[in-house]
Amino acid sequence: MSGERAQEDLAASSSGCSESYEFSHAAAKAAVAQVCESVGYEHFKDPALESLAGFALQYILQLGKTAISFANLTGRSQCNVFDIILALEDLTGDGDDDGGGVSSESCSLGRSVKLKGIVDFVNSSEEMPFSQPLPRFPVAISKKKMMIPSFVEIGETPPGNHIPLWLPAFPDPHTYKETPMWIERASDPRGDKIEQARQRRKAERALLSLQRKLVCKISSGTRVWGDMDGVNEDEGELRSVPPSISGEKVESLNRDGLSVVEAFAPAMEAARDGFCSEVDTEWNKKKKPDALSKLRTEKKFLGEPLDLSLKMKGEDRPLSFVREEDRDDKRRRAEFILRQCMENPVDLNQL
Amino acid sequence: MNHGQQSGEAKHEDDAALTEFLASLMDYTPTIPDDLVEHYLAKSGFQCPDVRLIRLVAVATQKFVADVASDALQHCKARPAPFVKDKKQQKDKRLILTMEDLSKALREYGVNVKHPEYFADSPSTGMDPATREE
Repeated sequence: MSGERAQEDLAASSSGCSESYEFSHAAAKAAVAQVCESVGYEHFKDPALESLAGFALQYILQLGKTAISFANLTGRSQCNVFDIILALEDLTGDGDDDGGGVSSESCSLGRSVKLKGIVDFVNSSEEMPFSQPLPRFPVAISKKKMMIPSFVEIGETPPGNHIPLWLPAFPDPHTYKETPMWIERASDPRGDKIEQARQRRKAERALLSLQRKLVCKISSGTRVWGDMDGVNEDEGELRSVPPSISGEKVESLNRDGLSVVEAFAPAMEAARDGFCSEVDTEWNKKKKPDALSKLRTEKKFLGEPLDLSLKMKGEDRPLSFVREEDRDDKRRRAEFILRQCMENPVDLNQL
Repeated sequence: MNHGQQSGEAKHEDDAALTEFLASLMDYTPTIPDDLVEHYLAKSGFQCPDVRLIRLVAVATQKFVADVASDALQHCKARPAPFVKDKKQQKDKRLILTMEDLSKALREYGVNVKHPEYFADSPSTGMDPATREE
């Protein structure tokens, strides 16, 4: 195995592995292989190269350990060059029977054998830098994201005086306890009831005003109907489709105060024996009083048109047989509307 | 006093030489990369912002490896060559770093990396059959 293969291993391991140990070990193997190559070796056996790389790493570790211990002995936390020189002497200071090894004299360049050897080595050997670019490692994954913030950082007070502020904060309770998921809004049943009552009063007021208008209009008599017809003819263009009756009704009410009663009165009369075609047209167009059919007033005023219709019956009888076919249609329609109105009383209470 | 002065002068010289050496280290790039050395030194507790010291350690390690490798090479070259038919084969001796050479070289440094010759299935393997219990 040549030195190049060791470098290939390094490339492969640096691209795929995640453990820093594997990466650094592979890098060390490549570096050692390069040193051996400079000495003269052409090929390497893998176990031999691995063990030599391991020794080199152990050398570095031991050197660092000894150096830092020397620094600590003198009360320093950071090493300087003399600590390293002493460590070098300590590491390989065997064979000195004079009791040499570590001494103050060996700190200097002049006395230290090891250091001299290194100096000579530097001066004599060729410079051979590491062949492959080595990335800066260990790669620091933005630890800010992964580290748990301390109590101080998140502004929490730790539960208990015995816990200092600089320690990581406790996890949120929802991570280990079942907590309610919804945000409980403060329910105000009294407020809700008041609001509901207010809305009902508003609706009642609207209905009452409408009722008053109905009363006025009814008391004024049939003239209104005639006017209604005239008005209706004028408003011909506004009436597009019969289904859109509720809209029309609102419009007409706004202008003339025409009521549901007026719409229903002809229906009532037609149901009994028909009355007049003008009313019919009116009544046809206002077939489906959706919203207004649900008025409470409807019940009250149904009685009056009935009375009117009874009075007028006698007058209309001679005409009845002339328009019998029309009357049948009218009757059917009137009955339909009546049925609807009768059914709707159930809804009146909902108002 | 003279001796003291002399020693003082010598010390100054030594210090100057040391400083000069450390400065020269910046020009010399050791084979073992600085990052690797720094990583392993940090593992052992050694922390120093000065690059020169890191380089000093790297150079020391490189020297150590070079010494061991050169010793192993000597052993490899000293081994008698295998039986060859042609003279050409004799010259093309492959220089391969093997465990044997390495163990011989490391023994001088006080490291024992002798490989076992064989692996036995049981403690009594290879013993005289008469002494084996059956």
